Amino acid sequence: MPFLRAEEETKVREWFAELERPVELLVALGPEETPRAGSGDVDFGAEMVRVCEALAELGEGVTCRVEQEPAGFPRFPAVSIRPDGRDAGVRYDGLPWGYELGSLVGAIVEAGREEPTLRPDSLAALEQLDRDLALEVFVTPT
Amino acid sequence: MLLAFRFALASERVSGTAIEANEFPQLSQELGVWAVPRVVVDGEPRWDGAVPEPEFLRRVLA
Repeated sequence: MPFLRAEEETKVREWFAELERPVELLVALGPEETPRAGSGDVDFGAEMVRVCEALAELGEGVTCRVEQEPAGFPRFPAVSIRPDGRDAGVRYDGLPWGYELGSLVGAIVEAGREEPTLRPDSLAALEQLDRDLALEVFVTPT
Repeated sequence: MLLAFRFALASERVSGTAIEANEFPQLSQELGVWAVPRVVVDGEPRWDGAVPEPEFLRRVLA
């Protein structure tokens, strides 16, 4: 079953064609927490692989690799979005379905840019950071 | 969500993680996730909802 409508797939292909550097999707599989009731019988790990492999088919610059319980992943399934195959600290824990599929596509597009797209004052502030900063955003599919 | 990713891509000091709340109910409960997006900075719940980039910057550095 296709996971994007035809017009969505066309748009994503256009975005991925403009990537300025390769982006690797490292899919991490492992023991999964029991999800909230209502999630049905979804095999989240298998779906994660299916989604990421399907996205990798939409652009030459996007590749997908699957590992079992790689280091640095506290939750499974998850996908690390890696510009030039490098761990840049960009990760999606859980299956990005529904509305959130757009977040994963957006992350790939952003990771494929050579230059950051933040405002100059944001970049200046981040350059002054003297400590690590962990940002986590909880989301839902709808 | 994308702002957290863009911040991470702009700085080696920053990591940005999206967490699907329904798939990780225990963690979501521990952090009191009742509305999304909920933003957590260095393990501490900070606010709910999307904000513009200047406000996002101000809040994550606060």
